[in-house]
Amino acid sequence: MREKTSLRSPANKMFPASISSTLLMGGITFFFSAFSVLEIHAQETTDPKKVAQKKDGKKIDFKREIAPILEAHCWDCHGEDQQESGLRLDRRANMLRGGDYGLRAVVPGIPNQSYLLDLVNHLDPDLKMPPDEDKIPAKEIAVLTRWIAQGAIWPGQMDVVAATKSSHWSFQPIVRPTIPGDAVANPIDAFLTQQLSAKGLAYSRPADARSLIRRVSFILTGLPPMPNQIAEFEVSYQRNPETTYSALVDRLLASPHFGERWAQHWLDVIRWAETNGSESNMYRKNAWIYRDYLIRSFNQDKPYQQFLTEQIAGDTMGQGDAMGFLVAGPHVPVATVGQEASARRQARADRMDEILQTVGTSTLGVTIGCARCHNHKFDPISITDYYSMSAVFQDIEFGSRFPELAEDHVHQIRGKELYQQISELHGALQKMGPWEENWTGYRELHFPPVESRAVRITFMWNYARIDELEIFGLENPKQNLALASSGTTAFSPKEISVARNESHKINDGMFGTEAWAGKSPPDTKQKPWVQLTFAKPHVVDRLRLSTNRGDFLETDYLLAMNKFNFGPYKVECQGADGKWNVVANTGQLKKLDVKYPTRPKIIQQIQRLIINVSEEGPKSSFVGRLINPSKTFVLNRGSPETPRHEVFAAGLMEISGQLDLPPNSPGKLRRKAFAKWLTGPKHPLTARVAANRLWHHVFGRGIVATPSDFGAAGALPSHPELLDWLASEFKEPTLAPDRKPPSWSMKHLLRLMVLSKAFQQSSQPNEKGLMLDAGSALLWRFPPKRMEAEVIRDSILLSSGVLSSRVGGRSYRIHNVKKRYAQWEVNDNFGPPTWRRMIYQERMRRVDDQMFTAFDFPDCGQIRAKRPVSTTSLQALNLLNSQFVIDQSKRIADRATEMANNDVAQSIDHCFLLLLGRTPDKMERQASRRLADNSDLSMVCRALINSNEFAFLP
Amino acid sequence: MNLPESLSSLGRHFLNRRNFLHTAGLSGAAIGLTSLLSSDGLLSEDLKTAGGKKPIRPRIDSRNPYAARPSHFEAPAKQVLVIYCPGAVSHIDTFDYKPALARLHGQKPNGLPAVTFEGPSGNIAKPFWKFKPRGESGKMTSDLLPHLGRQVDDFCFFHALSTQTSAHPQGENFFNTGFTMEGFPSFGAWTTYALGTENQELPAFVAINDPRGLARSGKNNFGNGFLPAAFQGTAFNSKSPPNNLGRPRSIPARTDAQTVELLKLLNSRHLKKYPGDADLAGRIASYELAGKMQSSVPQVMDLAKESEATLKAYGVEGGSQLRGHYARNCILARRLLEKGVRVVQLFNGSDPSGGNGITNWDSHTNIAKTHAMQAEIMDQPTAALIADLKQRGLLKQTLVVWATEFGRMPFLQGNGTGRDHNPGAFTCFLAGAGVKKGFSYGESDEFGFKAMVDKTSVYDFNATILHLMGLDHSRLTFYHNGLERRLTNVHGHVVTEVTA
Repeated sequence: MREKTSLRSPANKMFPASISSTLLMGGITFFFSAFSVLEIHAQETTDPKKVAQKKDGKKIDFKREIAPILEAHCWDCHGEDQQESGLRLDRRANMLRGGDYGLRAVVPGIPNQSYLLDLVNHLDPDLKMPPDEDKIPAKEIAVLTRWIAQGAIWPGQMDVVAATKSSHWSFQPIVRPTIPGDAVANPIDAFLTQQLSAKGLAYSRPADARSLIRRVSFILTGLPPMPNQIAEFEVSYQRNPETTYSALVDRLLASPHFGERWAQHWLDVIRWAETNGSESNMYRKNAWIYRDYLIRSFNQDKPYQQFLTEQIAGDTMGQGDAMGFLVAGPHVPVATVGQEASARRQARADRMDEILQTVGTSTLGVTIGCARCHNHKFDPISITDYYSMSAVFQDIEFGSRFPELAEDHVHQIRGKELYQQISELHGALQKMGPWEENWTGYRELHFPPVESRAVRITFMWNYARIDELEIFGLENPKQNLALASSGTTAFSPKEISVARNESHKINDGMFGTEAWAGKSPPDTKQKPWVQLTFAKPHVVDRLRLSTNRGDFLETDYLLAMNKFNFGPYKVECQGADGKWNVVANTGQLKKLDVKYPTRPKIIQQIQRLIINVSEEGPKSSFVGRLINPSKTFVLNRGSPETPRHEVFAAGLMEISGQLDLPPNSPGKLRRKAFAKWLTGPKHPLTARVAANRLWHHVFGRGIVATPSDFGAAGALPSHPELLDWLASEFKEPTLAPDRKPPSWSMKHLLRLMVLSKAFQQSSQPNEKGLMLDAGSALLWRFPPKRMEAEVIRDSILLSSGVLSSRVGGRSYRIHNVKKRYAQWEVNDNFGPPTWRRMIYQERMRRVDDQMFTAFDFPDCGQIRAKRPVSTTSLQALNLLNSQFVIDQSKRIADRATEMANNDVAQSIDHCFLLLLGRTPDKMERQASRRLADNSDLSMVCRALINSNEFAFLP
Repeated sequence: MNLPESLSSLGRHFLNRRNFLHTAGLSGAAIGLTSLLSSDGLLSEDLKTAGGKKPIRPRIDSRNPYAARPSHFEAPAKQVLVIYCPGAVSHIDTFDYKPALARLHGQKPNGLPAVTFEGPSGNIAKPFWKFKPRGESGKMTSDLLPHLGRQVDDFCFFHALSTQTSAHPQGENFFNTGFTMEGFPSFGAWTTYALGTENQELPAFVAINDPRGLARSGKNNFGNGFLPAAFQGTAFNSKSPPNNLGRPRSIPARTDAQTVELLKLLNSRHLKKYPGDADLAGRIASYELAGKMQSSVPQVMDLAKESEATLKAYGVEGGSQLRGHYARNCILARRLLEKGVRVVQLFNGSDPSGGNGITNWDSHTNIAKTHAMQAEIMDQPTAALIADLKQRGLLKQTLVVWATEFGRMPFLQGNGTGRDHNPGAFTCFLAGAGVKKGFSYGESDEFGFKAMVDKTSVYDFNATILHLMGLDHSRLTFYHNGLERRLTNVHGHVVTEVTA
């Protein structure tokens, strides 16, 4: 409980005014500190009376015995004038708090936790104090130690507690500002025009109707409008611009493609990908269910508060698939770390750091990673905060599990339907003898129910390898009766045994490489067999066999995966009478097909349903594995080899991060409590960060231009009051009461943004605007920019008419099936299976898709709050010469020709309409006609696809 | 709150700066040229790097991200060639002579670990190849690399390197990006970001991958990380041009040219609506450059005019097929450097599942055979490449870096035929512009197990390479996600002892 108390103590929270150590990780120092340091009086941290009772020996006199030691050895660098590493030893409160390393220099009463003593005793090989000098005399160290043991009594300073409160803007409470000027206007415009007119600027004229519908369609759905939609809009807009535009916005917000567009932004932020990165860069099986969760959530306008809570603690809410969030980052699997224990500990710490980076950057908009090794240099995040936050996620490990899904979850509903159908087919098979199903990762054998004391399996080949044998019965169809933990014993005779593949490995509940294996002794007819004996008889009717189900559950697309390393087998059951009966022999099942002609068809139907289940039903998915949380310690300088004091789950102390949990609460309660803190009504960061992200993706640049860094190293808000108004409106909507927008509605906020005049103005530049605000940060025009890889690809496919409108499902593949340690190779990035929106393209870490990587599609190694926009000749070459563009140009030309009933002149118009949403002017028409006549129309499409007008947001 | 007065002093400083830009009457068009990249920079210009130094952030003109930019200070090296040998070359079997190993052969002295990366360790093994003094410097190197051995008088060895990890992908990441984790910009990307390039008609940074495929960290080794994609290495080698370089065979040259003409017309008409828009102009320029690249890249890849003598010196014929391929890649590297390409990264090895039994230097089993196979591929062509650069005078302005991610153990693995990973000590060398010749820096211990004297971290090594290119590693930064990121994180000291 002591640590718990200290966590709550403000003593941890002071930050130094100057930092000079270059040893520290991180990167930046400031001219100015964003903090003010204040001293406050608070409760005594140590009760001197209690300490006095425990004292050993004579009471140390601070002034006479301690001060001279400190003065001689410490105060030159850690005193009033200088505070190396942010440490002051001339004040008791600062001693208790420690320096930049975040470790407390003195813990009253506990010498072995006092970092000061470690340093003067030279216990830390990397840091010895005083530096470049001999050790302090042992006698003096002994006095210091005793003084600390006695409670570090420092007369006159016992009541002083060092504390700070950050004065940085983003940590201050959100207060809804008064809307300036005319209250009738969209408040967004009120805030923006106030600042514009202060600079002598004003909005540009409204955008033309075609630009507007194109722009808002790209922003909200990532897809361009089709020519007929543009035409209708233009006509109606002329008559009644406001209602026409507002209706368009409503339609786009309700489009199922809205979620596809906005999920993509979120995936960038958390660098989600479907491979691990690292050595073999393995595929993460069914990780895509998290992407679908996102799309559904955006489409449903799930309140942001709930959206975050599900991603952090979805297992408690029947939304286990949402937790793909936590394991979005790259990781190094244990298998490729090597055999050294310290390397494995380091790898776990690295994996935990990936989780914290994801959570911290995406939701809090602060880089907490710095605090892994030392107190954050300019944001109020201490090393204790970092490790307390890691205690929140201590039960998460990178890997797969069957996600917890509520009864009304789409996968659950669909799964039930499919299992019902399978079960009906099982019924039809009942009277036709035993049958076997292939579930890819394992085989499942069904046989007539029989009461058994034991089950014996004899394999017909000379070698068999089984990582797990599961047996099921009638009493509880989901209970694996074979498990050793339920009292079942496995036996297999010595003469068939294989070294390191003992029989207990067949029912230890562990899938993967730890397996039982048996082989026929040479020159005998004996086959490998294994027997499982139950603690008590059960009625059994089903068993499952696999050779390496670990791969099946975790990964995919590897050569030679899910191989069954066993042939046909015979299953015998021992009845209560001790007699053995053969219940199935898989080598002879074919005979039954002859006897029952409908049987093979039913089994085929079942196999098809099994595939459907694995796509649409609940399934093992890469959304994280839940493990028993281990104790969490502050790791000195980030090293797992130097743990310090234990910490317990908490949020950031600067933002009242206490979670009010018993110290060793189960992981899910920790996460749930953390999410509650994160989305609490008074949290200063969460709503601001979210509102700013939405703004960033609408206007191309955040009000805070560094959307994932709201700390002191990030940019300041260009319109602080607007940001706070948006954050307030986000949490407690006041506008559009007729629509009753819920709290934390992202669509509500987006709607306000795109309905603003700022959004609807022209993007064309003017001299004055460029002169005074070249980056258009003040929004005197709508800022144009090159669109993302996804928009370019999706628009091409939509223009050719082949883009699939199917939402969700397994990612389309452009890569090969590879050897375990090989690199992924692109083998088809343009064929019909890829004609889906690019959000469904496998997101692979550090693999070049040979097309859109050049367009700043992220490599998913690091957080991407916003994509850089590169302009390179490789992009030009990809867009001119790739098979994708050549093939699609032909298709667009064909479509245009068909629309024009083979009239060349008209088909050129249609190409322009399909790709640019407008008809060509005279000159363009002539030039296009020449090209079409000299070669063919597809070359016109190729040119249009490469044009700036096509690639830029209007 | 939120009035400027209530903002931090830092914030007020930003606002003032912005005010300055707004009121100084700077040409809007001029500022408009800066990309998003530098608008980030604008915001964080007042931040300092760790150590309190002011970052030097290159101003990138989005119309031409590769424009040559000045180095931070005068330096002899204008270009850099990195020869990277994935898999970990055994230092004690090549360049780091340890007589103690012969003395202790077959023994297991105290203090050596019982378990290393792959598992239980075996006994000390003497080098699998004989060492002898070479060159005027008398540097002891082994018979495994005789061709390189002949040139030791040009090399500057680092014998006390150590790294942070004993796993290849993390090791490659660390060596080439400065971080063991994923997603950081590579050395080549940093260099191109800082310096641009002299020849606009070729990529600024070329990654010549091994004929067997990419190394284990794949694209990370030459990726842009969070830098703009413009700065990633362009992958091609003597066999395969960059993706999508050539016009498709189905399109005649004339049609292709006419298509580009139409494109120009479309873009120029569009640009009229956005006068002075630099992003649009930049994209138009990138198409012109692409056109030039379509002829300049095949030209540089065409080895037909290379002399018989050159082909012979590089070992194009007469060795294994892989040596032939690698030798051609070496010639390509020289041709690229001749044309002014800023960074050439040449790989000698791929991931573990290519063909031929071995694919890189990762000799866990039968090191006598597997290292010999790798050496046959690497030795002669690499030596010829360096000699060729020297002979053509290119070494005066080109820095050559020969590197691998870590070393190998002085003792064998449990299997008794291979050496396991050794992150504690390994050897790399530099040659060429600005580097001492015939010099060795640092020592490992008597076994070659741990770095001992003048220990050099990978940060130091990278800091030194940047220094030789005229770049201050502590000031070359890019703002990403709250930090002024550097190739060397917050570490690294330039090893001034090796500069000529």
